[in-house]
Amino acid sequence: MEGFLLGLDTVLEPMNIFWIIIGGFLGTIVGMLPGLGPATAVAVLIPVTFGMDPTSAIILMAAIYYGAMYGGSRSSILLNTPGDGSAIAATFDGYPMAQKGQAGQAMAISAVASFIGGILATFGFVFLAKPLANFALQFGPAEYFLLMLLTLSAIVSLSIGKMVKGFIAMALGLLIATIGIDPQTGVHRFTMDIPHLTEGIEFLIVIIGVYAIGEVFYNYLSIDKKKKEMERMGKIWFTKDQWKRSKWPIFRSAPMGFLVGVLPGAGGTIASMISYSTEKQLSKKPDEFGKGAVEGLAAPESSNNAASVGAMIPLLTMGIPGSGTTAVMLGALIMLGVRPGPMLFENDPGMVWAFINSMFIGNVALVIMNILLVGMLVKVLDTPAKVLYPIIIMLAFIGTYTLSYSTMDFFLLLLFGIIGLFMKMLDFPIAPLVLAIIVGGDMEQNFRMALTSSNGSLGIFFSSGISIALIVITVLSLCYPLLIKLLKKKQNDSNDDAMSA
Amino acid sequence: MKAVKLGMPLFMILISLTFLISSFSIPRATLGNANGPLYFPIGLSIFMLVLSVIYFLKELKTLNEENEKVKALFEGRTLKLIGVTIALGVLYAFIFETLGFFISTIIYLGALLFYVNGVKKWLVNVIVTVAFSFITWYGFSQLLGVSLP
Repeated sequence: MEGFLLGLDTVLEPMNIFWIIIGGFLGTIVGMLPGLGPATAVAVLIPVTFGMDPTSAIILMAAIYYGAMYGGSRSSILLNTPGDGSAIAATFDGYPMAQKGQAGQAMAISAVASFIGGILATFGFVFLAKPLANFALQFGPAEYFLLMLLTLSAIVSLSIGKMVKGFIAMALGLLIATIGIDPQTGVHRFTMDIPHLTEGIEFLIVIIGVYAIGEVFYNYLSIDKKKKEMERMGKIWFTKDQWKRSKWPIFRSAPMGFLVGVLPGAGGTIASMISYSTEKQLSKKPDEFGKGAVEGLAAPESSNNAASVGAMIPLLTMGIPGSGTTAVMLGALIMLGVRPGPMLFENDPGMVWAFINSMFIGNVALVIMNILLVGMLVKVLDTPAKVLYPIIIMLAFIGTYTLSYSTMDFFLLLLFGIIGLFMKMLDFPIAPLVLAIIVGGDMEQNFRMALTSSNGSLGIFFSSGISIALIVITVLSLCYPLLIKLLKKKQNDSNDDAMSA
Repeated sequence: MKAVKLGMPLFMILISLTFLISSFSIPRATLGNANGPLYFPIGLSIFMLVLSVIYFLKELKTLNEENEKVKALFEGRTLKLIGVTIALGVLYAFIFETLGFFISTIIYLGALLFYVNGVKKWLVNVIVTVAFSFITWYGFSQLLGVSLP
């Protein structure tokens, strides 16, 4: 309780309130742009946090993150174009609602659902974070290595149908992370005698390259296509009947989304899909889903926002990001000299509590912004992409320069932009690459530290209950796509049987 | 089209081979386990090599299937847009420190906007270029204390 009040005090400083509002606003705008999601929003805006004190920086980044989550559904509803995976479910019923002339109602219910999801999940954060941090204190190098392995393999196996590509992306990321001086022995690896490479490739440059330059290149593919007509907005508030229909779906989806968000590798996309299909199964009128059922929009909106809060838990308590966006945030935090992990709660409770409080206030600010200012905000969707993309490119270059003060990195930035473009074009999942680059260094050091402590025996990875559990879950997560395949096949078979009968 | 579909796995094979071969020329460590720095790179590059070969074979099987996105790369002015953005970016890298942040940003952003957005909308392009350059220069160097050339 003491910590809570202390945090509240920090957040209520005018400067921090200002950052929450600015972050939420900028995040909403970038999130709203079709084709750009929260990871891009955070990546492009990272340089703004330099020179700030870490507490304000994390508050700002989190505000950008959930701002982008709020904004993401705007383009789903109005244009049927989701900014990223977690906004896809909002197109299922949000766009049909807009087509029926209920765009304003859809946006209002989505803002309120996001708000409730975010607030409930923040309560969940308060209760779950500390115990999890304490639990993580028991982790040694072997457990950390296995946990990172689990996160990486989960994020690959959850990108169903792209297992091979996902693991290639992961291996590439881990290999890139080995470039530079090995911190344990001082040996130069893959530096090709280029002095600039001795410190390794700065992971934020890879992130900005892939998420900003790569995304813009990818959007170039469709830049000259005819713009989609935006649906009319109508009144920005929902009816009593709509609220009655969405109330329970919203409250049910929040805890579910939160828990999915905490899991490594899962996140907003999966959370929103699960709650959409759950609501469809629970509904008395499942045939209305996909045709503008209000609960079909409200449930995933609540759930994906809750998931974005849940995803902060492994990030802050264990230093392990579970998604692309949190990976980007971890990169920025390390840059600022903050090492998230179980000790963060011991060493810097002020920061953690300020962050928690900022989520409450941020969600309040965003729901107000998204309902009152929605008319103004959607004007952004009218801003021609042809002006915005060059601006994003410029922001990426400037951001890169502020990282290292070296124009050499501009070439790396462009290189990773091109790699990002081809990866997106050929259906490679990006998150495993980014995650691997960020945790790669730690993962290797933990692996070797574990081996050193056991005198080279691999037995150390099977020596504790936690590590065995982690191995079992990792194996299970790898079997998951096969299971889905089998289930689908069985379903098809039984359908065929029914047809032939 | 086919060149892109097969090019990517070949590129990945090439990368993993490069990592694998240069792994062996990593000097032995004089501290701790002499081969310690080798395990990860060698293991990973073999893992990546195997998967890239699988990826290559998979692509070979579905070589004649169309990929809309790859097709879009060769349509309209997409390739030119990407090429111009990269070329201007390289130019930016060379002029950034000599001409300074403000002028080089105006050149890069201005040229990019005129190319992407079209000459007809010159007024918008000019306003956005100057406003963006000034705001970022002011924001970074004055408010955030980043030293820009």
